[in-house]
Amino acid sequence: MSVFQSMQISSSALQAQSTRLNTISSNLANINSTSTPEGGPYREKSVIFRTRNPQFDQQLQSSMKNPNQGVRVERIVESRDPPKEVYNPSHPQANEEGYVQKPDINMVEEMTDMQAAVRSYEANVNSIKSAQRMARQALQIGS
Amino acid sequence: MFGDTINVLHNALNLRVQRQQVISSNIANSDTPGYAPARLNFEEQLQNSISDSQVSLSSSDPEHFPIHDEAPGVQGSVSREPSLSRIGDKNNVSLDQEMQRLSENQIKYEAMTKMLRKKFSTLQSVLQK
Repeated sequence: MSVFQSMQISSSALQAQSTRLNTISSNLANINSTSTPEGGPYREKSVIFRTRNPQFDQQLQSSMKNPNQGVRVERIVESRDPPKEVYNPSHPQANEEGYVQKPDINMVEEMTDMQAAVRSYEANVNSIKSAQRMARQALQIGS
Repeated sequence: MFGDTINVLHNALNLRVQRQQVISSNIANSDTPGYAPARLNFEEQLQNSISDSQVSLSSSDPEHFPIHDEAPGVQGSVSREPSLSRIGDKNNVSLDQEMQRLSENQIKYEAMTKMLRKKFSTLQSVLQK
């Protein structure tokens, strides 16, 4: 039934938005992380969204023609901005000149991105609720 | 016996469900770069199909049943609204507009299911006489 397909589309968006929220939390948590397993300071991560068709047989159709597309996180990219340098000679990770490399994460940017992610999430929850209500109404037709 | 009402409502309900899908994918892709929101247009076609079906076959004998040829059903057409601005991520989804369309679609769907229920309950009360 196609009401369920619209729920699938919305739930793909819920997944994508929660991945986005996870990366934002990770950015905020690591706002002061000066070292990572990969070496160097933590780098800001962001998600790249991409449309997705919910079922494989629909992927064969031209994606421009098919209007029913979910969304998925295509990949998570790291910021290429250079880390900011803070003078702190007593820090164990300070270089010869006494500078420590810190991630260049803008707190305000992360918080606004977080709000936007939450709003999108809510919009999709409402869309699922609406589809649910339609399905329930359809079930009552005969009674 | 049932007339056109049930057929028309059936067709319209299907189209509303499809529109629901289109709107949910617009909402799902409200943050996807380059996404052009889709629109499912069917009102005009449905209107035309209803006025077309008024044309009935002539009957040469009063015993003839009127024939309601089952219309193939309106499919609706999908159009895209790409972003015309050259700035930003070329995503043209307006979340508030989509939410408005979503609730409008849902309310109209409910109205139609209600009409179908009334239709069936009328038939039921006739059958119980």
